Amino acid sequence: MYVFLCENSIEGIFTGVYDAWASRYGHRNIRLSLDTPDTYELFCEYIQVTPDLEKSRRIGRAICSSFGYEVYQDICQAIMAAGKEKKKALDKADCVYRTILLGFAMHDGHRVLTALGEPYVARVFELARTTNLEAHHLMGFLRFRELENGVLFSAIHPKNDVLPILGEHFTDRLPQEHFMIYDATHKTAAVHKAGSPFFIADVTDLNEALIQNVSAEELEYRRLWCAFFESIAIKARQNPKLQSQNIPKRFWQDTVELC
Amino acid sequence: MNIQKTMSLMEKLTILSAAAKYDVACTSSGVDRKGNGKGMGNTIAPGICHAFSSDGRCVSLLKILFTNECIFQCAYCQNNCSNDVPRASFTPEEICTLTMEFYRRNYIEGLFLSSGILVSPNYTMELIYHTLYKLRHEHQFHGYIHVKAIPGADPLLIRQTGYLADRMSINLELPTSAGLHSLAPNKSRRTILKPMRQIQNGIAENKDELAVYQKAPHFVPAGQSTQMIIGATPEHDYEIMRVTESLYQKFGLKRVFYSAFVNVNQNEKLPMLPGGPPLLREHRLYQADWLLRYYHFSVSELLSEDRPDFNLNLDPKCDWALRHLDLFPVEINRASYQTLLRVPGIGYKSAGRIVKARRMNRLDFSDLKKMGVVLKRALYFITCSGHMMYRTKLEENYIFENLMRDRTQIPVGLRNSSYQQLTIWDV
Repeated sequence: MYVFLCENSIEGIFTGVYDAWASRYGHRNIRLSLDTPDTYELFCEYIQVTPDLEKSRRIGRAICSSFGYEVYQDICQAIMAAGKEKKKALDKADCVYRTILLGFAMHDGHRVLTALGEPYVARVFELARTTNLEAHHLMGFLRFRELENGVLFSAIHPKNDVLPILGEHFTDRLPQEHFMIYDATHKTAAVHKAGSPFFIADVTDLNEALIQNVSAEELEYRRLWCAFFESIAIKARQNPKLQSQNIPKRFWQDTVELC
Repeated sequence: MNIQKTMSLMEKLTILSAAAKYDVACTSSGVDRKGNGKGMGNTIAPGICHAFSSDGRCVSLLKILFTNECIFQCAYCQNNCSNDVPRASFTPEEICTLTMEFYRRNYIEGLFLSSGILVSPNYTMELIYHTLYKLRHEHQFHGYIHVKAIPGADPLLIRQTGYLADRMSINLELPTSAGLHSLAPNKSRRTILKPMRQIQNGIAENKDELAVYQKAPHFVPAGQSTQMIIGATPEHDYEIMRVTESLYQKFGLKRVFYSAFVNVNQNEKLPMLPGGPPLLREHRLYQADWLLRYYHFSVSELLSEDRPDFNLNLDPKCDWALRHLDLFPVEINRASYQTLLRVPGIGYKSAGRIVKARRMNRLDFSDLKKMGVVLKRALYFITCSGHMMYRTKLEENYIFENLMRDRTQIPVGLRNSSYQQLTIWDV
């Protein structure tokens, strides 16, 4: 058995898929794994994969042209998921590899993600759905604050790497605003300058003083929003359990009205 | 003498959002529109919920009345002209500023604008039109707008407003015209249904226009909706659902909303409801509403003259299945999509997934679980490759008892009362 150890990123896993394929060891003898195992298995050869942009691009292109853009998107979203909720769950990288293999073996690769009877496809599908769901939640629950220099700033604590999805959504929504979404879990930020596309940057030291320095009207609009939020609730229908079911508690810290 | 001090924006917002809260519709769904790169805003088809208030309802739009100074006298409404409540009116500019600033901070998905009848229906509708015009053209707002059409307003005004809004709605208020006549003397079935028909025709015409010329302006692209108050008048669920069905079929509505009646005015014409608003009944109506729209059910299958109300213990689909056990169990690997839709515990999404996945593999119960099927309800009604999940009996009483044994399956309102299994036979 040959085990390819990949980095946990789209580039890392796609490079792993490329290397595994190109190695010609036979798919049955290959496994992809995300992190270095605690105990090494006997009769296994471990191969470290170095992420390579060119290789990962080629895999990306192959998926796009053979399976269609939607499948490509779903696979990327599956990779963006943290996927650590269960200890015994199937390995993310290996599931992606097996799914791609199945897609190429199928007559119509566009339908690969509907083969939910296969455990690894079901896993990729499940992971893609987690990312998608959290991104959709945050499209609603994320709050911007206006800083003194007019920039909109927002901090979030997502489990999965949803920043690319959010960046795209808000660039389309607020094209004429400067904004920055800071992902405190992954220490990255989506930065957008008015009238241009967004980009994702690593953030090591965030200027805390600068982001606390909000504009003059900001507090007034926060007060108005909280007042609206209070008065829109119907007292006779009070149901806090339903509320925390709909907006899970972990999102509360980043909102204006609930924190 | 009328003493009016100038009100702050804060006071107005508090009064006019509290006055709008009994309008149920707060959806931002139904239309996909990319941003245009210049203004602000886009919409996505599934809609986005931005917050959830303490009653658990979604807050997606800035839901406000333009004014609560109303000349009408509807018994169920807290803004009726004989009530002593603080009154306020926004100016169009104030609404625009609030919407834009809230939208920028991602508090809301758009604007929901309704209004009390100020001076006359036409006057009010014109104010609403001006507000929307300002918002769309001066402030370049491209987010979601849901607006109420005022019954009795000029058709031209309604048409013009429809080109600015995404969704329009006219509230039916009460399911029967007799109920409407007794509780809302200033409204009539005719003035409500006329604009509804007009909007329906407008949407149909617009569809043809768009087919010819892609850049033609969109008229109410997210469709229209309406709302009925449940529990204020003595109608049965059967009558309510019949009305709903005909609204979907004859008026092409996107949604019908139900609002459990809350007695805000302590009016003697209205029921007192000591147990609070009929929330469970409202919930069952929504479930049945989904069965009509997504599951190919018709009202005559769910209810009849002899059984005019829904069973509060069971959801309408389970209730239906228990009365039609001759159709079950169904084989997951073979049954048609339409048959799968009728199995309790299988939703339209999981039914779709099953149909696609079984082309490639034979499905088992563990696969179904991963696809989102609720097995604890479905297991009595399905087989996988000819086997049931456990040994069960296909008997109405047996299945009902087993479903009720799981406390989480019993509605919260009934959980502490003495439901004791027998109830289904008592009614």
